[in-house]
Amino acid sequence: MSSEPTQDRTTPQLAALRSWVAQKARDVPAGGLTDDLPLLAGRHLTSLHIPELLLLLERLRGRPIDADRLQPGDFRDIQTIAARFLAPDAAPAETAAR
Amino acid sequence: MNQAVPAGALTAAGLGWQASGHATLAGPLYRLADACDQAFLALASLWAAEPEEHPAMIAAATLQRVGYLTSFPHQATFPVCLDADSGNLLAFTGSDPVNSDGVVRLARTAPARDLLTPAACYHIYPHHEGEQLGALRYITTRNTCFRRETYYEPLRRQWSFRMREIVCLGTRGEVQDFLAHAKSAVSLLLRELDLPVHWEVATDPFFEPASNPHYLAQVLQPVKHEARFGADLAIASLNLHEDHFGAAFGISRASQPATSGCVAFGIERWLYAIASRHGCDPAAWPDPVAAARRAAAALAAADARILTEVGQA
Repeated sequence: MSSEPTQDRTTPQLAALRSWVAQKARDVPAGGLTDDLPLLAGRHLTSLHIPELLLLLERLRGRPIDADRLQPGDFRDIQTIAARFLAPDAAPAETAAR
Repeated sequence: MNQAVPAGALTAAGLGWQASGHATLAGPLYRLADACDQAFLALASLWAAEPEEHPAMIAAATLQRVGYLTSFPHQATFPVCLDADSGNLLAFTGSDPVNSDGVVRLARTAPARDLLTPAACYHIYPHHEGEQLGALRYITTRNTCFRRETYYEPLRRQWSFRMREIVCLGTRGEVQDFLAHAKSAVSLLLRELDLPVHWEVATDPFFEPASNPHYLAQVLQPVKHEARFGADLAIASLNLHEDHFGAAFGISRASQPATSGCVAFGIERWLYAIASRHGCDPAAWPDPVAAARRAAAALAAADARILTEVGQA
């Protein structure tokens, strides 16, 4: 049996995102909130949550998000949101050069 | 091959056009529009959809329960009446009521409480307010709809236009199944009419979209698919409303706010597509009713085949 310790890659930003989703999501499965739970497709979050989630992400990453550049699937689940918007090299939906 | 439709040829086929965005249909075009609607009704009969007929106007307060006026203020059309005070009416009639530019010299107006119908299905949800659905429901309705636009083109983009819709109210899974089935049915009808389209994800034309959470939700989780003829003419759309209307009007299914979805047909745009594809000579037009019957038969055969395959699996 491997005794390799699992690397904890949870950043403070990801922890804050998980905490926010846990507070807002409805009808979370009995097994609890997971990073691959389909948030919008599963109706755990609705359109009314989106502006608040955008503000949270902008605060966590310290940069604005250009709503005009959002793409289908960007808010699919926690792991996708984190990869798109909270990773250091996250590129999509940055403020567009105008 | 699709081609631009000359306005003169449409006039000969029965089109009357007001530059303010309203079409009269007469003669062959009237009969084609009627046949298209009969074809849509034949598709509606696949689900035994109950027909409903609703008024031309809807209360603004009712529509605002789903945020219509804040999401689409630029498209809203309000019926305006004069204040009935006799002095006000005398003032109105005392001078020429319409100026040389066609603008009405309105006197004092009465409070506006209604809108001219912006989409045929908006009437259905308040009509079924508070219902607890023991089974999923299919409803079809048609109305003349009004949407203010920045420009108008005969049969393509009108202020007033005819819309047929088939609506499903049920659980989310039931409505998703309906929309998948409806996409097959519409695609088969289009094939029988030899109208090539491409299906594309779309969003509704929200005012100030980037700041509207409903628009952002449509971008992030697409719920609208349009059948586009040519470069950009949406002649039918499939729409998943989630529980937007079910929650607003207290319609429930399986102890939850009902989900709704619809397939919508812009009747004048089908006329344009047929004239573009087959020409303006009515003798060359396909028969939409016969096409719908063939599409329904093909769909039934496909369903039977799928059921057989499932049974053998």
